[in-house]
Order: sequence, then structure tokens, then C-alpha cells
Amino acid sequence: MKVLVEVMNKKISNYVNSCDALLLGLENFSVLNSVNFSLDEIKKIIDDYPNIQIFVKMDKNIFNDEIDELRRVLLELEQMSIFGVFFYDLSILELKQELSLSFDLVWAQTHMVTNFRTCDYYYSQGVNYALLSKEITLDEIVDIAKKSSIHTIVEVVSLPSVGYSRRRLVHNYYDDLGEKGSSILSVLEKITKKNYIVKEEKEGTGFLFDEVLNGTSVISSLYHADVDYVLFREEGVSSFLELIGDTKKYIAGGCEDSSYVEKYKKLGDSTGFFFKKTIYRVKK
Amino acid sequence: MKRIELLSPAGDIERLKVTLLYGADAVYIGGEKYGLRANATNFTLEQIKEGCDFAHKLGKKVYLTLNIVFHNEDMDGVEEYISAVVDAGIDAFIVSDPFIISYIKKNFPQVEVHLSTQDSTTNYKSVEYFQKQGIDRVVLAREVSLDEMKEIIDKTGIDIEVFIHGAMCTCYSGRCALSNYVTNRDANRGGCAQVCRFAFAVDGKKDFTFATKDNNLAKYIGNLIDIGVASLKVEGRMRSLYYLATVIGTYREIIDRYYDNTLTEDILEVLEERLSRVANRAVSTHYLLKEADATDQYYTGRNEASNQDYLGQVISYDKNKKLIKIYERNYFEVGDTVELFTPQGERISFVIEKLYDEDMNKVDVARHPDNIYYIYLDTNIEIVTYSMIRLLHH
Repeated sequence: MKVLVEVMNKKISNYVNSCDALLLGLENFSVLNSVNFSLDEIKKIIDDYPNIQIFVKMDKNIFNDEIDELRRVLLELEQMSIFGVFFYDLSILELKQELSLSFDLVWAQTHMVTNFRTCDYYYSQGVNYALLSKEITLDEIVDIAKKSSIHTIVEVVSLPSVGYSRRRLVHNYYDDLGEKGSSILSVLEKITKKNYIVKEEKEGTGFLFDEVLNGTSVISSLYHADVDYVLFREEGVSSFLELIGDTKKYIAGGCEDSSYVEKYKKLGDSTGFFFKKTIYRVKK
Repeated sequence: MKRIELLSPAGDIERLKVTLLYGADAVYIGGEKYGLRANATNFTLEQIKEGCDFAHKLGKKVYLTLNIVFHNEDMDGVEEYISAVVDAGIDAFIVSDPFIISYIKKNFPQVEVHLSTQDSTTNYKSVEYFQKQGIDRVVLAREVSLDEMKEIIDKTGIDIEVFIHGAMCTCYSGRCALSNYVTNRDANRGGCAQVCRFAFAVDGKKDFTFATKDNNLAKYIGNLIDIGVASLKVEGRMRSLYYLATVIGTYREIIDRYYDNTLTEDILEVLEERLSRVANRAVSTHYLLKEADATDQYYTGRNEASNQDYLGQVISYDKNKKLIKIYERNYFEVGDTVELFTPQGERISFVIEKLYDEDMNKVDVARHPDNIYYIYLDTNIEIVTYSMIRLLHH
């Protein structure tokens, strides 16, 4: 199992010794990243760090007028030694097939990657990796890893993204108030008393749950289920470099060092949906 | 040129019948499993068959939503369920999961599969992908503009279905788990708690709200017909009989008048006013002509008005005694000016002169909803079951 990291700044040298793979947001095609990279910057990173796997994140919803640029970008990426592209929009899979591109794809439709049969469907379409949904349980994840041929990636530490709108929700809020404000808002859900970060950017507005998802305690189970990558997103996570470095050692040791789990209890007790099943029928 | 389809929601068998009688060309329904309205009444297999039989006798169609985002456990039994629904006579499935799409197309090629809006399809390349998977129709994302719809139709030739009326999601459909995090109810499996209609607190400022106004494209039906849209979809499987009768009846008239070249601006204004009488939220055209902006949202929490216009549903009309038997839904009284409308599109306005209770005692007011009353009306219009009466003014 490898450690995949979504970085928060462009000093790649900080990360390369502490992880196996990097997830880089691509300018104009990626959402909710703290930092995005140009094609030239990605190319330079690949040249500078040939031993690290580079995944490119292209997870925005794509519209007609972006298709030509998308085609151009995918063809440029094909010329680089990238490992794979995280995609949300099916136009990317369509273009990969149409252009016979050789890099791998990662099915990364946030909340929709939830069962082994659909993972296998995508695998049959040439998609070799899936970033599993954060809203399924550990048991479901293990089941997918065991039953599907697809290679699995599980997000274990992050401020979880919980929604994305095309609308300019923060701008509109301040517009209504008749004020100027920043593009980020911290809001409190009144009943659960939980905070969310509302983050507006060029592509739209995203919602992040403002508690760090702490999946360090499930890494051992993921390792034993043959999950291929664990994903760490840096935004909002303190002592991040130490964390990923420790994780890499923990995995190298077969996930047997219980002091790792003990140490990272400090990240908080939010384990997302790893141990919590959602419901959907509320009427008798 | 094939006439555009008017597609209505139906939350139960009675709504299915009413909405088809009021002019829908097809209805979409949810079964007891696998639909995105887990808490609606929904249809048993027997009711699906009854609904299909009813629709097919009228030359109309029934589509079943099978558009949840499946978890491992949901896959158990889905193949048998699909087979049973096909046997019941369904005309199409509305699906978001590509595995399910491929399964249906492989095993039941005679049945259409429509790509759900849950996939948020926003461009022609994605449509091309799904075309190759055998999709017969795409329900486009509600974020797509009129020009983009036209380009998709022109480039792919696929049947496109467009939402024209009803509630909107704030986020891209399928790309929202707010309900999961706030209420533990799974938005992508039919449990959405509509958290986008909640008000969130902000330190030292007014609450943050981000609910959207409802969608209403009545003014642009002609444009949608002209660019080659295949189906016009009304949202709202949990809406009332009265709402469906009014909205579907009104859109039926807009579509028919557009084809007949009788849709004048004055008439459209009257029809839009009719739609507004059953609306419980303000409306907007959202992304159809522009980027959605501040005018498309609410900033004061839930803005929903209850509607008291609907007085009752006609059970029968005795031509000899000139008495309408109605099932009352809201208070009314002698002297009220009301409008009776029928599934055939007939309308008659009149003042209630004589009113009787179920035991034929003369009364001045009908104050008990869910009771039977009789209203005197002398008319030659054919008044059939499922005609309805609304208040014009007290």
C-alpha cells in the first residue's frame, strides 16, 4: 500500500521523501485545491522527481466550451510520464478512449464510488483505479477491495469535501448583505453544532466539513485488505509532513506499530463514515 | 417532426392517473427500492403494472427511477427487480449507475434507459460516452444553458430531457453529501434532507443561506421545442394531485398552443399566472440564459407559502340535479367565486350559489376538509372525475 498526498504548496521537495505518490491539482480543471499547478510545473516536477508517482487531479464538471482545451491538455499530459488522472466528468474517459491515451485513469466521482460492481464496470472500460467514496463504511471498502478488480484508493486524512455547486454562493451572500467579503466563509450548522468551510473559487463553491477526518486507525485494515493507496490531503491538517512520513514507515512495517495509531489520535476523533452507516428511509 | 414529450412525476397510482389525464405524455415513478425519493409513497410491482396498463391504454408511457448511487448491499436483488419491472411493462428506466445501464441494455434491449440527472451531464463528450454504452436519452444537468443544450443535441443527435419546472438542487446533482454529514441521511440513496434549505450561522453576521428559487421555464418552452429537445420534465414526485393537475394541464396548453401557433403573449401571461398560483416558492430560469447569480437564491431561510386555493376534487356530476359532488380540501363558502377545471382542459368560473353537505342539508360554508359536499352548477361542460375546483376570490 502506497501513501498518496495532495499537497498544499508548491515546495515539492518537502514531500517527496515522505510519500510514494503526489496528487497535483491542474489549473482550470481541478476544484477545491489549496494550490494548482500548470502543465509546465507538472512537467518540471516529473523531471525533478522521477521516482515519485504523479497523479493529476482533473475533477471539475466540464462544459462544451472546455472540451477543446481538455483534449489539448490530455494530449500534453500524454507526453509526460504521469501515472494517472483523477476524473469526475465522463468526457475525460471518452477522450482517453478516443485518443488512445496511455496513462491510467482514477474514477474519482467523490460521493458516487460506492460499490464493487460499478468499480468493475469502470475497470472493464480501462479505468484501473478508483478513489472510493468517503461516505461508505470500512466494511464496504474492504468488500470492494476484495471483490473488485479495480485498484483502490482510500482517503484517510483530510478536511472532507461534502458538496460542490456551480453557483457563487459566498459572493452572492455578501452581495445580499451589500458588503465585500473574502471567498471563504466559516458557517455553523445550528442543530449539530458542527462547522463547515464554504469555499468559493472560479469553478464554483465547495463545502468542506471542518473536522479532520482521522482514518489513521483504519490504515491497518486497509493494508490487510490490499487497498493500493491511502490518500492524505494536507489542507487543515497540522504536522502534515511528520504524519505522512510516519505513515510510510508504519506501512513499511506491516502496520504493526500500535504507537502510530496512538500518536495520531491527536488528529481528533472524527472517523467519518468508516464506522457509521448512512440511512435513507426515515418513514415507517 | 416528433412532438415534444411532457413528462410528469407521479408519487402514487392516483397521481399517475391524474397527471396522464391532465395531459402528460409520460410519467416517471419510483419503485419501492432504488429510487431517489425513498420516503415517497412509491409503487409496488402490482401498482407499476397497473400504472403501465393504464398509461399504455392511453398511448402513453411510464418510466421507473432506478437512480440511486448503489452501495454493495443495494446490488443484492437488483437484477431480479429489474426483470420484474420489465415484466410489469415499464417503458424505460432512469439510471445513474453505468453498471446498471450496461446490465439493462445487455439483458433487456427492448427497454429504454435514460441517464439520470444525478450524473450531472454537462457536455457533449460525456453524452457521446454514454451513447456508446447504449443510453437512449440523457437528462441533462440543470446547470446547462439553452445554447449548450442545442450544441449537445446538434453534435450527438441524442434525445435530451430538460427539467422545466420545480425545485432545484444548489449543488451539482450527485455531487452533494451535505445531507449525509448533517443528518446521516444518504442524499444519493433517496434520503436527502434538503440541507441546502437550512440556515447556517455566521459569526457576527446574518445567517448563511444558499437555497435556490424553483425552476420555471414556461416562457421558453418554444425555444426548447425549436432546438430539438425530446422531453420536458416537471420535478416533484411528492407533489399533490392539485399541483400536478394544474402544472401539467398548464404546460400541456403551452405546448399545444405553441405547436398550433396560438400561444400569444397575453395567453402565456395568463398561463404563467396559473402556474404561480400553485407555486410555494419564487421562481427563476437559473442557468438557461445566463450564469446563475444572486437573484436565483433566497437569503432568509425557507421561503415557502402554503396554498389555500385548492378547494376540492370532483367525484362526480349529476346532470339531472346539476350537482357537483366534491371531496373538500380547503374551506369555502356560498358567494365565493371559483373555477372548475377538467382533465380535458375545460374551465368554467362561477359563483357558488347553493351548497349542501353529504346528507344534502343546505349549508353556507364548507369548513371540514376531507368531507363530501355538493355544489349546484348548471352547465353543459362535461365534468368528470378528477376535475378540480380552485378559489378565485372570496
